Amino acid sequence: MDSFWGSAHVGGQLYYIQNIFAPVIIGFLIFSPALMALFVYAFARRWFVWKRGGKESRTDGMFGRVKTTIGVAVGYTRMMSDLYPGWMHFMILWGTAMFVVGKIVRLFSYTVHISSPPQDVFLAASLMSEVGAALIIIGGLLAVFRRYIIKPPRLDTKFDDSHVLLFVFIILISGFMIKGYRIAISEVPLNGFGEWWWSPIGYGFSKIFMVFPVDYRNEILTWHRVVIHTFIAFVFLALILVYRSRIQHVLLSPLNVFFRSTKPKGALTPINLETAESYGASKIEQFTWKQLLDLEACTRCGRCQDNCPANISGKRLSPKNLIQDLKAHLYEVYPIPFWPRPKEPRRDMINDAVTQESVWDCTTCRACMEACPVYIEHIDKIVDMRRNLALERAEFPESAQGALQSLGTRGHPWRGTTATRTDWLTGLGVKVLAEKSDIDILYWVGCTASLEDRNMKVAIATAKVLQAAGVNFGVLGVEEGCCGDPARRMGDEYLYQTLCQKNIEIMKNYKVRKIVTTCPHCFNTLKNEYPQFGADFEVVHHSEFIVDLIKQGKINMGNVPNVTVAYHDSCYLGRHNDIYKQPRKVLDSIGGIKRVELGRHGSKGFCCGGGGGHMWIEDAAEKRLNTRRMQEVIDAKANCVATACPWCLSMFEDGIKAKQVEETVKAMDLSELIVQSMGKK
Amino acid sequence: MDQFLRVVAVLLEVSVLGIMVLCLFWGVKLLLDDFGINKKYEKAIVMALIVVGVLFVFFFAVHLSSFYPAYSGA
Repeated sequence: MDSFWGSAHVGGQLYYIQNIFAPVIIGFLIFSPALMALFVYAFARRWFVWKRGGKESRTDGMFGRVKTTIGVAVGYTRMMSDLYPGWMHFMILWGTAMFVVGKIVRLFSYTVHISSPPQDVFLAASLMSEVGAALIIIGGLLAVFRRYIIKPPRLDTKFDDSHVLLFVFIILISGFMIKGYRIAISEVPLNGFGEWWWSPIGYGFSKIFMVFPVDYRNEILTWHRVVIHTFIAFVFLALILVYRSRIQHVLLSPLNVFFRSTKPKGALTPINLETAESYGASKIEQFTWKQLLDLEACTRCGRCQDNCPANISGKRLSPKNLIQDLKAHLYEVYPIPFWPRPKEPRRDMINDAVTQESVWDCTTCRACMEACPVYIEHIDKIVDMRRNLALERAEFPESAQGALQSLGTRGHPWRGTTATRTDWLTGLGVKVLAEKSDIDILYWVGCTASLEDRNMKVAIATAKVLQAAGVNFGVLGVEEGCCGDPARRMGDEYLYQTLCQKNIEIMKNYKVRKIVTTCPHCFNTLKNEYPQFGADFEVVHHSEFIVDLIKQGKINMGNVPNVTVAYHDSCYLGRHNDIYKQPRKVLDSIGGIKRVELGRHGSKGFCCGGGGGHMWIEDAAEKRLNTRRMQEVIDAKANCVATACPWCLSMFEDGIKAKQVEETVKAMDLSELIVQSMGKK
Repeated sequence: MDQFLRVVAVLLEVSVLGIMVLCLFWGVKLLLDDFGINKKYEKAIVMALIVVGVLFVFFFAVHLSSFYPAYSGA
């Protein structure tokens, strides 16, 4: 043989396969049942902990689950939303795949006689392994650069992180050292580019090695290198199976994606108040098994934290830390694998492991969940803890307590208002169902548009648009109660269900079939949560409804000159219900408007600070989300911020005052802009 | 010159082996933590691992100095 690839000389490929590679593989196969046992043990260890949690069915829509899991785990559909870590992971994953496939092809090549003389497939497998290993090293170096040089605040580095990186690096380098040394001792001259090409890195390494003058010594040294490399590779495999390190995300992340929630994004899981033995979660076992899997699937990547408006605004909540704190608490309560009883006495989960402040900081805006590459469900856990605080401990922020009391006694959260739900109707000629119920559409006004001065103008504008389009609609008037969203998001599930069932009953009495809302919070709960209690109405947001009216030519659109509008995505319209285009289409259909985008928009839009009950929870002035968002409007050089949500509108009005830009920036609802434009050419 | 290059090569090989020992023993430490070993034993465990690790590296250095091939290959 005149080639390294077919050489039977010590170090040559043929000699290596027959005398070293094959025995090592046999040794590996002998020990592989031990690896399998470790895998079973490690999985059982986790399964034991997960099953401490409550029951929850996550097996519906299997095809969709498999499809999304493949898309996320292999296609990186969510990882690539952040390009640096996206490409970094892409290189490591696909590098590993190429590396392993190359090794497997070479493993079987000898048995099917394609290694001697070396066939193209065999040679290509060598190149494939080397390219794969190079990709892993490049991806790993990118990870090192990011973690230790750039140091983004969202990453916290633990021993485990450095250990995995160092381990993988040393395994790959020791592998290249074997190949390089074998080429160096094979004594076969390099036959040009054609040979070099199949092992470029191995040939590069071969140039740095000293060799013995006698073959048996070279063989002994090759054995040394191979045994050491194989041993540490085996130990690494065993370690990642047993030790609960972050590298287990290779298995846990796809598993978590597979068992992701398929219920509507904006829907919370109801409590069966008649059968529940406890409300919400005050102990780790009161989360469901999937919520516990969530804790273990978290890789501490910190994307949630980077996108959390509460965290960005300097509040205590970090979704990442919340999940990690719950995970630490889980291990604290169940420290030893397979120990059947929890460790008692334990710390209070909400006050000590997490903190109430973090639990109440959340605006339920869903930015964390949208950013999480492995579909961790932060909001459900936070609301479960709020439910326990509200229903079992009666512990709320003081300002939230007032809103909930008002909801219970007056049917709306605006405790200071003296207005009634019908004040805004004066002179409009809008049908009230108690008087005339022959309508096609129910306009669900919502508490804020009915009772808050600024938002009454939005209700009036919406009614005018509907009237101009000839829509046969009506309102419930004094019969309309709060939809219950603030109560549910603040944890008072009992109050929510009371309000919800009352509203459903009223609407069923009037045989309501289709509802239009201006409030995304009402829209979300009517559409996604009321069906949990027997509702069966078609619910549309006014932005969707108006777009259809415009398409049908039912609205005489005109001009609003000299206005630069930035549209602010409401969280409950956008992230919770994927309505991003319709409000923009409405704005684009108004003549004279120049529309600009805010720095953070669409699914990355920044919360106004009103969701999750925060319309009624006092925040320190320097931590208010609305002033931060208002600055983004100013930075976008817009003189009008358009919203499709009454809470956002109120928050912007406050933001405008706080920033003292009343003369230069206005906040308006879509319907107000349409009314301004109608008939103006 | 050859002798100098040999020393450099031995140092590089010892470094690689040293990192391997570090990875292995670091893994042992993480694993013990993971299995809930009492914190009060942590210092003793780390000391024991460091001592054994240093002995390993010392062995590698001596072994390679004695048996590693010369640079010229002669």
